[in-house]
Amino acid sequence: MNCEICQLKELDVEHFEIREVLRCILHTILFHRALGLVRPKDIDLELFEITYVQCGDVELERKTDEKIEQFIDRAEKHPNKKNQICLSFYEVKNKQPTWFTNKVERLYWEQWYINLNVAQHQKGHSGKSTSSKIVVDPGAEERTARRAALEASLRDVLFQIIRFVNEKKDHIPPVPNLEGVSFPYEITISSSSDSAFGMEMFKRMLQTGNPTMLS
Amino acid sequence: MEQIITEFFAKSLHIILESRCPYVSSRNYSGEQVLSSLSPSSSSSSSSSFRPRDKWFNLALRDCPAALENIDFWRQSNLEPMIVDVILLQRPIDWDPLNFSPKTGFVSGKERHYYGSDNEEFGCEGKNERIIERWVLQYESKKNGGSTGSKKRSNCTSSHALYKKSILLLRSLYATVRLLPAYKLFRDLTSSAHIRMYNLAHRVSSFVEPFTRREEADMQRFVFTPVDTSCGRLCLSVLYRSSVVDMGSDPSTPISPQFIPEYVGSPMAEPLKRFPSGFVSQSSPSSSPFGRRHSWSYDLYRASPPSANPSPSPSPTYSDSHASLAKQRCRRLPPPSLPHHVPDETLVAYMKTPSYDEYWPSPVFSPSPSPSPPTYVPNSHISKALLRCESAPVSIPVTKLSSMPSLPNKQLMPPSPPLKATLLTAAENIAHCFMLQLLSFSKDRLHQISGARPSVNSSPSKSFSSRLSFQDDYDDGPFVVEDDEILDPSSRQTEIRLAGKVPTWSGLFELPGHPNEPGGTLFVKRSQDAAVGALVRMLNKAPPLHQDLQGSTLQTPTNSVKDTTEISEEPRVQQSSASNIVSSGLGLVTSKTTANALEELHGYRKMKDSLLKLK
Repeated sequence: MNCEICQLKELDVEHFEIREVLRCILHTILFHRALGLVRPKDIDLELFEITYVQCGDVELERKTDEKIEQFIDRAEKHPNKKNQICLSFYEVKNKQPTWFTNKVERLYWEQWYINLNVAQHQKGHSGKSTSSKIVVDPGAEERTARRAALEASLRDVLFQIIRFVNEKKDHIPPVPNLEGVSFPYEITISSSSDSAFGMEMFKRMLQTGNPTMLS
Repeated sequence: MEQIITEFFAKSLHIILESRCPYVSSRNYSGEQVLSSLSPSSSSSSSSSFRPRDKWFNLALRDCPAALENIDFWRQSNLEPMIVDVILLQRPIDWDPLNFSPKTGFVSGKERHYYGSDNEEFGCEGKNERIIERWVLQYESKKNGGSTGSKKRSNCTSSHALYKKSILLLRSLYATVRLLPAYKLFRDLTSSAHIRMYNLAHRVSSFVEPFTRREEADMQRFVFTPVDTSCGRLCLSVLYRSSVVDMGSDPSTPISPQFIPEYVGSPMAEPLKRFPSGFVSQSSPSSSPFGRRHSWSYDLYRASPPSANPSPSPSPTYSDSHASLAKQRCRRLPPPSLPHHVPDETLVAYMKTPSYDEYWPSPVFSPSPSPSPPTYVPNSHISKALLRCESAPVSIPVTKLSSMPSLPNKQLMPPSPPLKATLLTAAENIAHCFMLQLLSFSKDRLHQISGARPSVNSSPSKSFSSRLSFQDDYDDGPFVVEDDEILDPSSRQTEIRLAGKVPTWSGLFELPGHPNEPGGTLFVKRSQDAAVGALVRMLNKAPPLHQDLQGSTLQTPTNSVKDTTEISEEPRVQQSSASNIVSSGLGLVTSKTTANALEELHGYRKMKDSLLKLK
């Protein structure tokens, strides 16, 4: 069983946008993996003109919100770092208990990496009062442009998810649970402090030419 | 497997139309949301509310009658391609939402499309149609003859796998329809109560004309990964316009069309429509009996501009119109032709009746502004007087009514002022006419004055005392004539003659030492000012004082008139002076009360004293 990995397009988000962006992405993925009987719930983003779908599982919603809060805390503690959330779907394989291990093995068959580049707070907020007006006006335009770009990027990410779901269907194991999210999953948070993660990000930066590095 | 495919078609159509048909989704959305929100866990309670068709592909959707209506063709397992066109309807610019009426065919079509229930009978009159999305779903069956390795493998695909993949495909479809630009238009239509200048319609068919190259160049394509089956594959793709949002963002009318059943109009637009508020509760149109009234006033108001000439000049308020009409009567001795657009007979009747019954024993004078000329007394000799009389009181209401507070906004026009004015006018007219009758009667006796003074003095004095008493009852001048008539020599002669009958009256205002003054003129003054002016003129013309009249004039102050009874006694005492006064021709009859007359007497006394001193 191969594990399909999907590296989603990196998004440059501001601190207050993390929650909405992550909710949107995570729930979209989970909706595609909740293959049991669901009543979809449409959720409108407040910051963007995007409507995403939740599978309607309350427990799922709670868990994802928990993880998102953890991510936000981590992003605050470690600014200027690439932060990543990994949504993994696994199968539980009960290994035969040996004298080494008695734990349940998880066999990941799918992993989604959500890469967020949390932007720093703009220095213009602490600027002088005299020049605050001058600073705010171009700042507002910049924010608007950045917001529009982020919305477009987020839409691209969602389409990326849909395409991936469409293209990769064979690796999905048989559905164990018909209720809610059919497959066990886990959400892990990692930052660029991790070596592997850092290498990955470095490679991506070299390839894409991250604008934050160029600024 | 065929059932899976059939149901797949149905489900995909359901998903597409659910997010593109405004009415259906809005109707059922709230119900579905309630269900989902009430359930603490979506599994336990929501499962009970799932319908059989909801369980297909594990996707419970909201009701979509449009989808149910259209899927019958494909349920017959023809497996024809299904093409769903989502059409953006843009209303013309001059479409008026207030004139939204469900009666016209155009609008009925619009209603349907607004509610999204009909697609086949879509009318495109005067609308701009653009296909913004085209969904193509088809099942490509594979020929059994040609087979490759991959196809062999796909033959082994169980229906379970097909079902699972179909579920995934439909999940993707569900997410995709909400990411496409047309979804924003759909949400705008369903979320707000504004009337939009666009609408979404759909058309489901199995064969359509392909887009032109230019059209296709403007569209983007998204192709879902086909789901292979043993006998073919399910293919789903969409052509969509990415610039749909710009089309649909038209300014909307923030009101919903409502019919105002009893719209009358703003007071500013038609102020006079509120005129009969005192009479009718609703100021609505011609059904009220006073509809004519304010229509008349309104007409008068309208016709007000051309009113420079003494032709019937309409005025905004009724009272003013009445006064103006009266004015014109005053100016033209023959009764003027009233505005012909005044068929206000009801009003006339209303106004006429009380005055007629109460004050007018004989139809000599009509106080109301009826279009018909007032009927005059057949007596020719009085006719002129009556004309004068008629004109006299008429001018008074002018002054009276002009002094009335100007009605604000010409809205409040209670009937009492005009009625009052009319009644007052009527009363005045009656009084004046009585006086004129007396005057005319005394006129006949003027010829006898020279011959028999005492007799003249007695009778006319009595008559004039009665007249004076009459005068006391009315504040306004009993006899009012035009200024020009005063200067009329012919009338002057009559005035002179009349003066002889009024020795006492003229004696009241006799200037001492003015024997050669022009004959005591008894004339009628319009107002006190005019009377004083006339007096001044006379004084200027008056010859110097003579001593002959000293003796006689000295008597006059002794017999000061203080009330009507004294006046009646005067003629006997001042009989001698009366003749002088007649020759002097100074007499002044003003429209005053006794108190005013007394004041004038004092004034003249002072003048007399001063003149005597000068002498």
